Amino acid sequence: MEYLIHLAILFSIYAILGVSLNLVVGYTGLLSVTHAAFYGIGAYTTAILLTKTGVGFFSSVILGIIVAIALSFLIGVVLSKFKGDYYAIGTFGFNTIIFAIFLNWQNLTMGPFGIPGISKPELLSINFANNFNFLVLALIFLGLIYFIARFITKSPFGRVLKAIREDEKAIVVFGYNTPYFKLAIFSISAAMAAVAGSLFASYLTFIDPSSFRLMESAFILAIVILGGLANLRGAILGALFLILLPEILRFVGFPPDIAAQMRQVVYGVILILVMLYRPQGLIGEYKL
Amino acid sequence: MEIVPQLILNSIIAGSIYALIALGFNFVYGATKFFNLAHGVMAAIGGYAVFYFAKTLGLNLYFAVILGVALAGIVGYGLDKFIYLPLRKRKASNMVLLVASLGAMTALQAVIAILFTSRFKTISQNIGTQKLFEVLGGVITQTQLIIILVTALILAGLVFLLYKTLFGKAVRAISDDEEVAQIVGINTNKIIGYVFFIGSALAGLAGILVGFDTGIEPTMGLGLLLKGVIASVIGGVGNIYGGVLGAFLLGFVENFGIWKISGEWKDAIAFTLLIVFLIFRPRGIMNK
Repeated sequence: MEYLIHLAILFSIYAILGVSLNLVVGYTGLLSVTHAAFYGIGAYTTAILLTKTGVGFFSSVILGIIVAIALSFLIGVVLSKFKGDYYAIGTFGFNTIIFAIFLNWQNLTMGPFGIPGISKPELLSINFANNFNFLVLALIFLGLIYFIARFITKSPFGRVLKAIREDEKAIVVFGYNTPYFKLAIFSISAAMAAVAGSLFASYLTFIDPSSFRLMESAFILAIVILGGLANLRGAILGALFLILLPEILRFVGFPPDIAAQMRQVVYGVILILVMLYRPQGLIGEYKL
Repeated sequence: MEIVPQLILNSIIAGSIYALIALGFNFVYGATKFFNLAHGVMAAIGGYAVFYFAKTLGLNLYFAVILGVALAGIVGYGLDKFIYLPLRKRKASNMVLLVASLGAMTALQAVIAILFTSRFKTISQNIGTQKLFEVLGGVITQTQLIIILVTALILAGLVFLLYKTLFGKAVRAISDDEEVAQIVGINTNKIIGYVFFIGSALAGLAGILVGFDTGIEPTMGLGLLLKGVIASVIGGVGNIYGGVLGAFLLGFVENFGIWKISGEWKDAIAFTLLIVFLIFRPRGIMNK
């Protein structure tokens, strides 16, 4: 039972990441492979604040969001100049640079050793060190973020995003300042990823840079692409699928380190198969 | 050993490796116009093939190198045949091809890790006893000298192939416009298949050389690929000379960059260079 709760918490965290990335990749059509950077920003903000200062978990989530928005704004200004595959290559760059900062700014992040001893949240005498309580908390965050994402995609703002995806030139002719829209959704998505990062840091009580490398961004992208572009439920389905799959591999009886590699093989092959046979993903509404 | 001459030598050595990756990458990009992210993993395949044939099976070293290069080429050809060609036939966008190649990269890298474990390995038999040469007050090993010579030879060979042979003419025609090339009777799919073979074989060769110089690990491809992509973009993507120029520029900026700041920032420096170029000169040095 503990194990199932553990999986459910991981699922909630990745579902938040998937839903938020879907706003950028699925709805706006920008192939971003830098989501793990903002995920890491949230995680490190929470980890540093909880271990070095007296700030509580919930305030650290807010601060993580603020840092992520500030940073994504800077990055987004540069990225909104690029299109298509150049956009993707640019995001590779930012993920690598931010990973290098996590790894090398040793005074702040303790570098490759990571930050241990991050405390669990507490609120109104509810102790979230209990995993079941933590799961409820993670699900509440997931629900909130899903609701916000849904609100965005149904709003006029969301329709402009889809229009940018379909034909940016046309929407510019109508007088929309498209870089502003791209920047806004990029920052919103980054803020959501930071929330997932805060949850992750507090749940594991330990983080190190290896959780936020480029391949992690590729994994989150795989969640979105498998589940379905421009469909929020798709991202959740994708997270469910890609989190549960490796567990099945473990039950089949692979040793843990091979199981970890098998997970990579499986999701690599899934990406290829989806591209070959179902480019919109399981329940997606948009093809890359 | 003085510092500046050594830095210059190190820059040239790094530049040669990047150039070899960029040459193959650009060759493939020129014909297909998509960022083949699986290009780097061919380097790992080459390196591991030599490790297996020479060290595990005990074959003659030169024979093992030839087998390694050929194997990388065959895998590249296979990827085109079974993944990229069907996608191209369906007129899939560049982003679809990019995501499919991301999947291929992830899966192949993990397969290598399963077969050979993810530990760092050396393929050179005479580590530490290599001949050293003094050039301009700096020191260079025999392997590194070979790297520089091989890169020069490959560049010359590739230029000859592209500009002096019928095959090269066909490749350049496809580069200009694939449809028109098809209309005038060029079997474009077949030619692109060969292009993949050659490009991937070059990546394999680069991986083998890196293996002799330092060593091999399953994830070596990603780092090499990213450097190759950066070199290609800053030099002018799809342009053979541009890629080489970009590679050496990258080698110099990286090595002189870490003169004053610590070496762990190398990747961050490389990507900063990329982003500066993407902002101010997105078509690279050579392309207008």
